[in-house]
Amino acid sequence: MDTFLLIGITGIGLGALYFLVASGLSLIYGLMGVLNFAHGSFLTVGAFVGLWFSSQVMHVSNTWTFIGAMVLGGLAAGLFALLVERIVISRLYERHIDQALVTVGIALVVGAVLAGWFGNDLRLLPTPAWFINTVSIGSAHIPVDRFLYIGVAIILLLANTALLRFSRIGLVIRAGVENRQMVAALGINVRLAFSTVFFLGGFAAGVGGVLVSAYSNGVSPLIAGSYLIYGFIVVVIGGMGSVPGSFLAAMIIGVIKQYANYYSPGLGDFVVVFLLAGVLLLRPQGLLGKVKS
Amino acid sequence: MLRWRYSRPLLAIFIPLLFAAPLLGNNPLSHPGLQQTMAVAFLYGALALTYDLLFGFTGLLSFGHALFFASGMYLAVLFINHDVLVWWLAVIAAVAITTILAILIGSASLRTGGITFAMVTLAFAEAGHVIISRNFGGLTNGENGIALNADKVPSIFIGVFNTKNLFWISLGTLVIVYFITWWVTESSAGRVFAALRDNETRVAVLGLKPARFKLLSFVIAASMASFIGVVMLMVSGSAAPRFASSDVTIALLLMVILGGAITRWGAVIGGIIYSVASTRLQDLSQSSALHSVPKIISGPLSEPTFILGLLFIFVVMFAPGGLSGAYYHLRLKVISKK
Repeated sequence: MDTFLLIGITGIGLGALYFLVASGLSLIYGLMGVLNFAHGSFLTVGAFVGLWFSSQVMHVSNTWTFIGAMVLGGLAAGLFALLVERIVISRLYERHIDQALVTVGIALVVGAVLAGWFGNDLRLLPTPAWFINTVSIGSAHIPVDRFLYIGVAIILLLANTALLRFSRIGLVIRAGVENRQMVAALGINVRLAFSTVFFLGGFAAGVGGVLVSAYSNGVSPLIAGSYLIYGFIVVVIGGMGSVPGSFLAAMIIGVIKQYANYYSPGLGDFVVVFLLAGVLLLRPQGLLGKVKS
Repeated sequence: MLRWRYSRPLLAIFIPLLFAAPLLGNNPLSHPGLQQTMAVAFLYGALALTYDLLFGFTGLLSFGHALFFASGMYLAVLFINHDVLVWWLAVIAAVAITTILAILIGSASLRTGGITFAMVTLAFAEAGHVIISRNFGGLTNGENGIALNADKVPSIFIGVFNTKNLFWISLGTLVIVYFITWWVTESSAGRVFAALRDNETRVAVLGLKPARFKLLSFVIAASMASFIGVVMLMVSGSAAPRFASSDVTIALLLMVILGGAITRWGAVIGGIIYSVASTRLQDLSQSSALHSVPKIISGPLSEPTFILGLLFIFVVMFAPGGLSGAYYHLRLKVISKK
């Protein structure tokens, strides 16, 4: 029973990390039709800025340092995403395949620059001392950092939902996901929504980058790889353009993957792909996705 | 259209010359080192061509092509090393099983289209990569890969002295794949592929089933890729997980875009140049010329993907059509001046 609980909560924690990557991917795809392969590099940029802040700027690794690293990592990744959108992607609007291709190029270049500067070895990210504590639920001892990932993901989900529901730009984004041509035809500046979505997606990925480096005990240009692919899977299963769908799918995938991996190492990835195939066959628009006409 | 009428006669001289090069006295291609490099380059040229059939000619942006390449490679090495089949039967079986795999994966992922299709194929390929690299089932030997057992294949494929045989086999594979692709793209099915790329709705309205033709293109490309994988197994002497990684598919995408999609020769040239360039750029990164430059510049420059990635972004944004596109553009200018 304790192992069951431990694996379940670790799975939800992992799902939270997937959600941080997938939420941005989902909104960017839903609004702009861009398959963003550069999203992994947003995550890596966030992770390196977080590392820089917590090892070079601050010399004590307490809670505030970590929060600072998350915020700075998120902001840096968000700004980087904004630059990518303004400088590169905005020149290729309505050329969806070319947009996807150019983001592949950006991911390659960012990976090469970071590998050239810092090498591909894992660098340790200083974390607050309480990260190694455990919480006892019944007889299960659960590492406390899992709850941090879940908490951050929930905060970002709520903030995201609030922004989409109650602000004007959120209204434009939601309308744009439904029907972008109509929004543009009504004379509303959709481009501002594009930039916003890229910034928000980059911010979430950057925060995710710092958390991923805490989870995998270090930072390297290669950490984003599997998270990007899982992000894609989450987006497809959850439904394109649906942030709550991404959240639900991320949690399901994280939990299933952990249980399967406990049963037999490596089985997790396999089960997740089967799940993906099943969802595509039975419900191609994803769990909470809408069918686009 | 724009065809240069001398290209075929020239190729008819050039290709036999290339075949004969290892035998013709002392030239660069009579050394095993370059023969090996070129054998790998020819195979990447052929692989890029099969990817071009999918991406350029049919308009399917698949991120899972490496899966079939690696599947052919791993199935062949498993059959040969474990004495399941004689080597030539193993080759046939590897291609046949990969074809069935491609039919299954193709029919599942082709239920989606466009960008979603890219994501789904990526997920399938990644699952394959994980199965191989995690040593799932204890068969693939994980990250170390499997060395081909030299006793179980004919001795003409083994040893430095026989590198020229591998060179010939690779060049032969490229020529065969080129002819098959040429035949497929010029056939009536090939016209439907091109029509699907340009306007799928119109194809459906004409009463043809888009899904079937897409699957056909997907499966043809996949089975050719699996055969190239088997030949790569012979050339490199082992099967390794890096051949299954999505980096291979991304490299294929780069090759096709840099060489020019929709043209057969562009993809081949792109593949050959990319393959040679990435080995050469690696050598360059160890050269002393870079040591005098500060690390902030020399670091990225020593990564081959930095230059290739920048070039790729440039081509996608400003020179769609790549190398072959630029060539046709130039020819158009020359012709219209006359």
